[in-house]
Amino acid sequence: MPQSASMSLVDAFEKSATAAAATVERVARDPEQIAAAVARIAPAGPLAVAEPLYLPTKLFDACRHLAGAFDARSRKAMDDCAVGVTDAFAGVAHSGSICVCIDHDYAGYVSLLSRFHVAVLPAENIVERPGDLFRLDCLNGDGLRRNFVFITGPSATADMGPLVRGVHGPHRLHVIVV
Amino acid sequence: MPAPAPAPESPRAVANKSSKRTLLAAIKMALRIESSAVRHNTQTFNRNRYSATGALSDYDRLKDRARAIKERAIANIPELLATLEASVTQNGGHFFLAKDAAEATRYIADVCSRAGVRLVVKGKSMTSEEVGLNRVLQARGIEVAETDLAEFILQVADEQPSHIIAPAIHYSRERITALFKSRFKTDLPLDSGEELTRFAREHLRQKFLAADAGISGANLIAADSGSIVLVESEGNIRMTSLLPPLHIAIAGVEKVLPSRADFAPFLELLAASGTGQKLSSYTSIITPPLHAVPVLTNSDAAPRREFHLVLVDNGRMTMRQDPVLHEALYCIRCSACLNSCANFQTVGGHAFGGETYSGGIGGSWEAGTRSLDAARFNELCTGCSRCVSQCPVRIDVPFLNSTLRQRLNRRDAGKIAQLFSTVLADGSRDPVDAAPLQKLFFGRYDLFGKWGSLLAPLSNWLNAIPLTRSLMEKFVGLDRRRELPPFAKPTLVEAWRQPPASPALAAVEPPSTAVQPAARAVLFADIFTNYGSPSRGLATLKVFQSLGIDVVVSETCADGRAPLSQGLIAIAAEQARRTAELLRRYIKDDRDIVVIEPSVLAMFHLDYRRLLADAEGQLLFQILRDHSFDAMEYLWSFMQGVGLNPAMLFPASRHPLGTRLFYHSHCQQKTVGSALATEALLRAAGFDVATSRVECCGMAGSFGYKKEYYDLSMAVGQDLFQQVAEAEADGPRVLVATGTSCHEQLAAGLKRNVLYPTELLAALVPKPESQNRKPAASHA
Repeated sequence: MPQSASMSLVDAFEKSATAAAATVERVARDPEQIAAAVARIAPAGPLAVAEPLYLPTKLFDACRHLAGAFDARSRKAMDDCAVGVTDAFAGVAHSGSICVCIDHDYAGYVSLLSRFHVAVLPAENIVERPGDLFRLDCLNGDGLRRNFVFITGPSATADMGPLVRGVHGPHRLHVIVV
Repeated sequence: MPAPAPAPESPRAVANKSSKRTLLAAIKMALRIESSAVRHNTQTFNRNRYSATGALSDYDRLKDRARAIKERAIANIPELLATLEASVTQNGGHFFLAKDAAEATRYIADVCSRAGVRLVVKGKSMTSEEVGLNRVLQARGIEVAETDLAEFILQVADEQPSHIIAPAIHYSRERITALFKSRFKTDLPLDSGEELTRFAREHLRQKFLAADAGISGANLIAADSGSIVLVESEGNIRMTSLLPPLHIAIAGVEKVLPSRADFAPFLELLAASGTGQKLSSYTSIITPPLHAVPVLTNSDAAPRREFHLVLVDNGRMTMRQDPVLHEALYCIRCSACLNSCANFQTVGGHAFGGETYSGGIGGSWEAGTRSLDAARFNELCTGCSRCVSQCPVRIDVPFLNSTLRQRLNRRDAGKIAQLFSTVLADGSRDPVDAAPLQKLFFGRYDLFGKWGSLLAPLSNWLNAIPLTRSLMEKFVGLDRRRELPPFAKPTLVEAWRQPPASPALAAVEPPSTAVQPAARAVLFADIFTNYGSPSRGLATLKVFQSLGIDVVVSETCADGRAPLSQGLIAIAAEQARRTAELLRRYIKDDRDIVVIEPSVLAMFHLDYRRLLADAEGQLLFQILRDHSFDAMEYLWSFMQGVGLNPAMLFPASRHPLGTRLFYHSHCQQKTVGSALATEALLRAAGFDVATSRVECCGMAGSFGYKKEYYDLSMAVGQDLFQQVAEAEADGPRVLVATGTSCHEQLAAGLKRNVLYPTELLAALVPKPESQNRKPAASHA
């Protein structure tokens, strides 16, 4: 993919994700920088880090040493989790969605039970439309194989009258594009 | 006459609409208690849908793809089910095909009992509502926690859903607060959406963490892989399918698609058409059972994950064989047809809906999964057609409802009505269109119009006396509060044939700038214009002639709109054939068909495809569709084509009524895409045009004339009346509307005169210098 096209997908992704009430920042692909970004944005409290699926494990190493990081995997611990860090194997420019594999390590739980979800997304995996994920020639056809969820902004409801963000799923979503 | 039964307060009491009395009680209840929340919420969805679908550059292509996939899938359900069973089994899950509600609920209850389940968390599933799953599980001593916040509200209130994607859409925040405070005996203030959500979240979080099983629906299922799609915003369905080790998904057999790749067009269509989002917060694509290690409350147990896919027939395979209702199986439950419906926006699904399914599409589903009688609420579909272009799989919802109406008519026709039916079906003895008197009365406006005009002014005098109105209300249900447009004398056709009788038809000189007549047109004398408001036709002729358009008037001919709206489909088809054949003669004579009444134009552009079903008919339909135009649309395209400037020919600044207009386009006119031309021409002429933003005025043909729907019709109209008031905040405007029933509604609500667009323009046609009439163009 030419560099300019790739850049414009990142821009489009950032715009759509922001419109969907997520926050987005771009960070160098470096363990210390990612950890610093998480520390900057995330509130204090228990922090769970799920094994990345697409990115090298060592990119998350520094995050595992942040204050509050824990390794317990009980329901209770997960439920108390303030911040959850996962990777995202794809992003969607048109909708501002990220695709998180829920079957890999604890990413499914961490991206759902924590109050604040931080997702790390490789810039080159941003596609244009959600439907692209269902093509064999897109991201090795992973969209056709994986158990995953398109996450578009934080959980939300309008069932209680006005729009409320933060229901059963995370109240905030922050995407770190690397 | 006995006093009417008091309207029940409880939605449950009016859920089953098998009797018309229940339907009317439900409308009354909804108008009093639920209307304002429903209106606000559905109209928000509706606006958001327009902007979300507008942002899809390939919206039409996505719809075509989705439709094609669904057609293929429904045609191949048996094969797909076999493939799917193999896929699910191979994945390590269990597959069960339930022939009815009892089988489905028994299977699920058995699975839960075997697994020792005490608490089930449920994601929203209309299919589980349809089969009554909760009651069966609870009877086995299993606690069921509905976790979608709307379903949670309904569980607390013990009510049925009022909308297919937002089941508690009839609840305002204030009513939820009152409900929670009374049921949960809490001192918390709960007086904001945030507080209510936090309260429900904490309550349900405990359920999620303790649940032994999760039950979800499925938006789409892929036969080739056993993958399912789960769409939601709150995260409760992710919890339901991930946290408990046992996951059961229940869905109708119509949800199965051939392959996972087929999911592609549906994801954006569902989100855009439903909540009006690019994608909902969470769209999960999973092939259960999941591999993620179950995280359990009791950490020393480590059971395997267990997954059951329960597919429900419950009438669907019979629907599939139905020549018309099979189309309902294409539905992906997005709710666009609910949110774009003016009646639904006003009463919601507790009135316009049955025990499970609601809105325009709901009638077919209640008929298919319960009984034809349960679909009686289809009466609230006025055929306005606003849903037709909103449906992501292009379902012709109004035609489904006309068909249900035809079937109910047959059942409801009394002996006298059957006799009348035979007479009114033009001598045809086909009993297919036997119907109650009210349906026959409104369906045969062609006959009443013809005799009314012949007997005018006697007929108009009769119509004006209270005794006639009271008898008409009693016998055919024509509400006496509605003013009746007088029968015309002369009719449009008579006025055209005897030009001296009509000063409006005095010859006018074409402007010198006009080129020689390149345009040849025939004005179709539809029955509404001919018998009810010939002035609209005469003004159109005057304007056309002033531009040098060679125009003639056809003979009058019933087009089928009136009978179709009453479910008299056989009569409608017969009329359609006659009209199409009549107009084909003009088309062969190189004339374009110009139509005054938008509901008639919509017949030519949409409904004749159904009514002229054979090969010859399809040809007629295509010819007519390609050669028929709204009068203003025709005018605008003619003026653009020959380079005539509306500002020169119809200068708004010289209009005796001023330049400020309020224009309301007709529902079916919007659907066939001919409304914008009117606005464009009026603006180009220099008018200051404010426009309505409603889907439909509420009159909707005969609907608002009916005694039992008068109040609803006027309630729907309130939005339009309000918009006029807002547009006139800085001064009065001339009311302009294209549809004849919109005229009546605006006149009724605002007590004002309303003009047809060409009537407005006709006032700007210069007076002819000589009164010599040009040689009349010959009749075709």
